[in-house]
Amino acid sequence: MTESKLSIVDLTKRYAAGLDPAVDRLNMEVEEGHLVALLGPSGCGKTTTLRMVAGLMDPTAGSIVVDGKEITHTPVNKRGMGMVFQSYALFPHMNVEQNVAFGLQMRQTSKADQKRRVAGALDMVQLGHLAKRQVRELSGGQQQRIALARALVVEPTLLLLDEPLSNLDAKLRETMRTEIRSIQQRTRATTLFVTHDQDEALDMADRIAVMNGGLIEQFGSPTEVYERPQTRFVANFIGQANFLNARVLSETGAAAKGETHYRVSIDELGEFGAVGAPGLTGSTHELVIRPHRLRVSLRPAGTETIAGVIERVSYTGDAISVAVKAGNRVLQAQVPTSSGDLPRPGDAAYLSWNEQDAYLLPAAVKDAAGLLPAAERDSVA
Amino acid sequence: MSEARLFKPRFNPAKPAFGILVFLLYLFLLAPLLIVFVVSFASNQYLSFPPEGLTFKWYEMLPQESTFMNGMRVSLIVAVTVTIIVLALGVPVALALDRFEFKAKAVVQSFFLSPLLIPSIVLALGMVLLFGPLKLTNTYAGIIIGHVAITIPFVIRTTLMSLATTDTSCEAAARILGAGSWTVFRRITLPIIQPGVIAGGVIAFIVSFDEAVISLFVAESGLPTLPVQVLRYVENSADAAVAALSVILILISLAVVVVVERAMGLRKALR
Repeated sequence: MTESKLSIVDLTKRYAAGLDPAVDRLNMEVEEGHLVALLGPSGCGKTTTLRMVAGLMDPTAGSIVVDGKEITHTPVNKRGMGMVFQSYALFPHMNVEQNVAFGLQMRQTSKADQKRRVAGALDMVQLGHLAKRQVRELSGGQQQRIALARALVVEPTLLLLDEPLSNLDAKLRETMRTEIRSIQQRTRATTLFVTHDQDEALDMADRIAVMNGGLIEQFGSPTEVYERPQTRFVANFIGQANFLNARVLSETGAAAKGETHYRVSIDELGEFGAVGAPGLTGSTHELVIRPHRLRVSLRPAGTETIAGVIERVSYTGDAISVAVKAGNRVLQAQVPTSSGDLPRPGDAAYLSWNEQDAYLLPAAVKDAAGLLPAAERDSVA
Repeated sequence: MSEARLFKPRFNPAKPAFGILVFLLYLFLLAPLLIVFVVSFASNQYLSFPPEGLTFKWYEMLPQESTFMNGMRVSLIVAVTVTIIVLALGVPVALALDRFEFKAKAVVQSFFLSPLLIPSIVLALGMVLLFGPLKLTNTYAGIIIGHVAITIPFVIRTTLMSLATTDTSCEAAARILGAGSWTVFRRITLPIIQPGVIAGGVIAFIVSFDEAVISLFVAESGLPTLPVQVLRYVENSADAAVAALSVILILISLAVVVVVERAMGLRKALR
């Protein structure tokens, strides 16, 4: 295994004694050259974590190690990092060039070197022609790029991005997403990226740390956190999901990547195929199925289908969302608009799925004895 | 805005009425200044209105009037020193009040702003009583301490206002880029809050230069400032030299404001 660029060990931040910690014994390893997204709702501790790594905030406990050196208590100006703020935080009294040169001046590099590197950094963000402009004359997207150039020109040990796209309009946000990612890959800057936007995280990151209540719920690649959520929170926060309580009856064979095929029983609806981590037989688990992975058929098709009635149809351009009532559950399905039969409310519908698209969450459901009615346990997010 | 336009009447009688009101108010405020200006060129033997003829003799008198020249020198020394001290003290205090949370914050804040609320005659009396045993009466130190006390609220106020509108992440960005605390202050914070600091400095200068009550109590006999000299002069003689001096003082104040406004305005235009 390669040595991590950044190791965070049991990092904890408590703002005041008696309060719940904002960050609670957080552990994370970041590989050299990776872009890691800290993703979560507001108040989940992602920004606090970033600020502790930057040195803007003192941790209550735990340690931060960069390149094998502990920097937990290194002053912020000695950490050699680069950071881009949500508000860009460009120095309003300096022009573009002076802004970008600031970090180099602090490092007392020669004037000639400064000039060359500032020009290089501005070219990298394609704003070389604006070197003499005042920052207030720039658009939001341009300011964002200057902030990125200013952070990268010092060749930082870590690049820290704090919601850098939140202040941009939707169209520009997507362009900047691609651009930041391609610059990050070219410079191979190890990057921590705080965001609450799941699309941004999925699109840009090598690894996503999904955070909730000061903890990392799951740390994995975009496909892992999307396809194989390890907790209900992760499944819910990233994309949409149907949750069904399923009793695991038996193993039916080994699946790819160490997973196991199972037969599961869903109350009132029958028996189906699903996948999950090994060793789940005998207990009840939540089954996660993404709406667009459900097939909707208006005629009975095959044996493993859930029969229901279409309750609601909503057209969103790219897709049609269909709410199907089966027993006392409502399942969300999403189908492409090009499909032949346009469903109508009141129609009978038959739902089916590929076995590998139905994933059993590893944690067993506590009320496995069925003390709660199925309708209260199952829900749609 | 566009909606309001739809219902805009063709003629709004409130508008000229408002204009006239503003004109009268300005006239009321500026009338004393205008009169002083006119009187300073009047050949009347004594301070009076209306003028009987035109003369420049009062202005010619000024350089020979040693009391005025001495007073001017004292006042300038005091005002410049006060401005420097009050900036050196007020800006850090404002920074601390803005950036740090501490227990007695509200108390400290009201302490520094309290001279604005206390009648200066009360302050002046207290200072005489305090400075006497300390041998500070009739010294520059005494006047300067007194003036610092009454001008520091202005500097703190204007600096706090500038600080309130600044983005602290600029300072965080500079620190991350390698700047130590002093460099951050000098190269980032100070330039950003500069308008408030300069405004506070200008107000402090003018208030100190203009201050009569404390100077009168603390240093009337030994170290009279210009306002004190003016007061004395008016008590003893009644010619229009004082009016000429007043015009000069108005022009000095005006020059300070204009110079600063120009400097700052130019700076802004270059940004």
